[in-house]
Amino acid sequence: MIADFRRIFGLWRGRALWLGAGIAVSLLALAAGMGLMTVAGAALASLALFAPTLLRGLGVVRVAARYAERMVTHAAMFRALADLRVWLFQRLTINAAGGLGFRQAGDVLARLVNDVEALDGLYLRVLVPVAGAIFVLPLTLILIAPTAPLLALAVAILFVLAAFVLPLSAYGAARDAGTRLSGAMGQLRVAVLDSMTGWREIRAFGAEGRMLAAAQAREAVVLQAQDGLAEATARAGAGAFLCAQAAVFAVLCAAGADTSQTIVAAFLVLAAFETIGGLPRAGAYLGHAAAAARRVLGAADAPVPVADPASPAELPKGTRLGFDSIHFRWRPELPPVFEGLTLDIAPGTRVAILGPSGSGKSTLAALALKIASPQSGQVILGRVDLATLTAADVRSRIGWLSQTTHLFDDTIRANLLLACPTADEAALWTALDAARIGDVVRGLPEGLDTWVGEAGARFSGGQGRRLALARALLSPMPILILDEPCAGLDAETERDFLTTLNEVGGGRTIVLIAHRLTGVEKLDRIHRLSAGKAIAAAA
Amino acid sequence: MSDIEASKAAARAWIKRERRAGLGAARPAIALGFAGTVLAIGQAFCAAAVLTGVSFAPALTGFALLAIGRAGLGYAADRMGFAAGAAARRRLRTDILSRLSWARPTLARSRHSAELAAVVVDKIEALDGFFARFIPAATLAAAAPIAVALTVLCVDRTAGLILAAAGLLVPAAMALSGLGAAAAARDQFLAMTRLQTRFLDRIRGIATIVLLGRAAEETAALRRAADELRTRTMKVLRVAFLSSAALDLAAALALILLALRYGQQWRAGTLADPMAALAVLLLVPEFFSPFRAFSAAYQDMFHATAAAEALADVPPMPPAPPVREIRTLETHGVSVQFEDVRLTWDKSRGPALNGLSFRVPAGETVVLAGPSGAGKSSAIELLLGFVRPDSGRVVINGRDIADLVPQALSGLTAWIGQRPVLFSGTIRENILFARPEATPEQFSEALRAARVDSFVEQLPNGLETTIGEGGYGLSGGQAQRIAIARAFLKNAPLLLLDEPTAHLDPATESEVLDGLRRLAAGRTVIMASHSAAARGVTGRRLDIRDGRIQPARGAA
Repeated sequence: MIADFRRIFGLWRGRALWLGAGIAVSLLALAAGMGLMTVAGAALASLALFAPTLLRGLGVVRVAARYAERMVTHAAMFRALADLRVWLFQRLTINAAGGLGFRQAGDVLARLVNDVEALDGLYLRVLVPVAGAIFVLPLTLILIAPTAPLLALAVAILFVLAAFVLPLSAYGAARDAGTRLSGAMGQLRVAVLDSMTGWREIRAFGAEGRMLAAAQAREAVVLQAQDGLAEATARAGAGAFLCAQAAVFAVLCAAGADTSQTIVAAFLVLAAFETIGGLPRAGAYLGHAAAAARRVLGAADAPVPVADPASPAELPKGTRLGFDSIHFRWRPELPPVFEGLTLDIAPGTRVAILGPSGSGKSTLAALALKIASPQSGQVILGRVDLATLTAADVRSRIGWLSQTTHLFDDTIRANLLLACPTADEAALWTALDAARIGDVVRGLPEGLDTWVGEAGARFSGGQGRRLALARALLSPMPILILDEPCAGLDAETERDFLTTLNEVGGGRTIVLIAHRLTGVEKLDRIHRLSAGKAIAAAA
Repeated sequence: MSDIEASKAAARAWIKRERRAGLGAARPAIALGFAGTVLAIGQAFCAAAVLTGVSFAPALTGFALLAIGRAGLGYAADRMGFAAGAAARRRLRTDILSRLSWARPTLARSRHSAELAAVVVDKIEALDGFFARFIPAATLAAAAPIAVALTVLCVDRTAGLILAAAGLLVPAAMALSGLGAAAAARDQFLAMTRLQTRFLDRIRGIATIVLLGRAAEETAALRRAADELRTRTMKVLRVAFLSSAALDLAAALALILLALRYGQQWRAGTLADPMAALAVLLLVPEFFSPFRAFSAAYQDMFHATAAAEALADVPPMPPAPPVREIRTLETHGVSVQFEDVRLTWDKSRGPALNGLSFRVPAGETVVLAGPSGAGKSSAIELLLGFVRPDSGRVVINGRDIADLVPQALSGLTAWIGQRPVLFSGTIRENILFARPEATPEQFSEALRAARVDSFVEQLPNGLETTIGEGGYGLSGGQAQRIAIARAFLKNAPLLLLDEPTAHLDPATESEVLDGLRRLAAGRTVIMASHSAAARGVTGRRLDIRDGRIQPARGAA
């Protein structure tokens, strides 16, 4: 836990000035607040000589410092969180393109986003108040100890209990409940997602009641775990309150000897304990944040699927794509996908790679894009072994369209420009027309600036595929791998699309991965994948 | 724009209604909070009595007992707040799930499953603070300070007035600085939510970004978006924090004025009741603490507003249709008739069905053939009761299906779509989903008939293999065989097939069609299909185009 947080604070090192300034201002506000209460007590006990001036000054400082504290700590927190998000995103672009993204583990990713959010409070709710507690404790003791050393000792013990011991024990209690909660929450999410995606099945089989009951059962587990967390939090809160009250009680017990001093001490102790009132709850929150930090760092640290070579070769000019006696399996315990695959795709040709599902068609694309690397054999681009090239270089030559290609929740224009930021309007329309979606887009009131919705939700499945296809066609890559581009299109649209594909070459290599051909494709060569090898068939 | 306005108005109405309902549930928590303030008043007097030497042991005991009482009350209020939040979430989640299960067909084209799941899971969670904290805090912020001020007024009129004036300063200053700020802060909160959504979207599509070579640009864009949002947010917060500053100012002002007043009186020897004076000073923080709790809970209101907008977008449950259940005997089969049926999903895209009429006698198979968008799926969805026709009738065994309760309709039909949805769970659970009460014999009979047994045998865990997210991935053909097993198990007289082989390669397709032929025996079957796959099925073929049946070309 400590190591995880230390790393996150390490990521924030660049913001140390901001974060430190926030803490400094908050300490100033604390000091002013305590001063205000103490002098108010002293004024009443007519101890303070310059009470009116002092009070006015402290009052102004207190209000101003509190305002500044809120501004500075929030500004610091926003900066730190943005850093964390950008850092995580950067890490994921390196290691998740092949892992999480390629296989679309949506739930894992969704959790990651919530986890980053859960780290929001780390600075405002934990770091700042802990700094405050460390500052207030000696201050209080210095003020009380000279006149009442025993009282100071009692107050110190109670303060440490409330500010450090109780939050830690709340953290301990919350950690288990927090772990259970995140598991239960995942289960609830799965149950709800099941009933949202499977609604046709549910309606057709009249299973609404059963699905609702299943979701309710999962929710009950969530509520139970949250109940545990709430119990820990409430106990910690009550414990902290009792500590504060016990401290005041101790002050009251010391009364009698010197009333004026005791009154000042009472006000001082009240103010001191008020500053740490939120810490036990923060301890419970920390239990949740610790799990979140672990997951965020775990995702960021996932191994890079194919590491770039230390001294990469220069990107060759040629665009021949070759596979030379490839042996490959995704994981040692899984059956091999390729056992001596050899395949050659000449520059500028149109090639189809056919095979039943599970024959390794998509794996072929993954190997070509350096999302995976073969256990033996070579993938060759131009005349160069892919292993000697950087992934970024390879991907600047090979474009890819798959069933998992993502449409972003943005405009059609922004989605297309992702493939080629310099493309002009005419190029966008050419690509849309080639993908047989130009007329649909022209018919939309907002045209290219139409929002596509989450994962293209505002369009039908077939239309979404065609938008993704237009994007792939727009990309300037000399080699284009189209992985089942017609999945989800009806026969007529499929035929239309493949006919256009016959025309869009422009010297590009087109690799069409499919489970069957329709007959309209103009191809130079057809390869069939079977038993982990490719069998060439004439076009 | 008017859509957004309407949804905002609906959200406001929802918040108002729920706030009233929540107030009832929050009454115990509010009572406890108020009792806590009363005990705090007692404590202040006990402490003052000890400190001024009026009473020692009895006041000290009183102080301790009241402290324990307050701790108990605080604990109980916390727990009750949680209970209120949990009860509200449980109620609202069941409500939204029921509404969604009803409205899902109409939302299918516009809303993503993950988005709806996020409404059910995350948005409902976000409402917790509203019920658990905001509602009690809002009431206590009004009631508890009044109790303190009244007490002070009784012991020292001037002090009471000072406190009351400072208290009135709080809402006045909050209103002055906060009125505009509240709206802006709410919008800002929504903008923040959108940034988070954007971040999620980019992470989901990270493979696409990386493979298009745009990682650096997207990272920079993310950084820019975050920076811009921060700058704008800080502008809003600058104003919004003024209301907190007003609270601090009022608290400091009250404390200073009272301390100076009593200090002066003390020095001048005119302080009539030092104990009361001290108690009043000790009560100043108590007076302001409900305000602080309220302002801390204020963000929960924003969360609730955002959630309410999402919830208001889901249509309410319709009234139950009049129950006129028809009598059908499975052994006699089911006949289906479409009579001049018209249906439009979306006015801008024209009608999906435009006078569709055809008849299927019991036990016969009909193939609806035509390109996508011709209306095949719409016809099937009408039969499943997902939608109602705009005009015309769909008739099953001589009765309009509008008269059927949904349960009666779903009892008559079995349906297999393009890609069956497999729920997270085991293969056994996924098949038993069709009919949980099936006997082991019926179950294994369905496995055999659908040829599920042949591929399940090869899995290490057999029927107990977990599938779905994170589980074993079945191929399209295997998934479709599970769907066929479900239909066998259900044994309904009307079988609806919506392009069941659209995503399969030829070898798998013929296997699946084989299973479908066995399933079709003795049932009424309506199959939607684009031309090629229909060849594998024997039956009458109806060509459907632009939402109506095309006249047959030559003899059938």
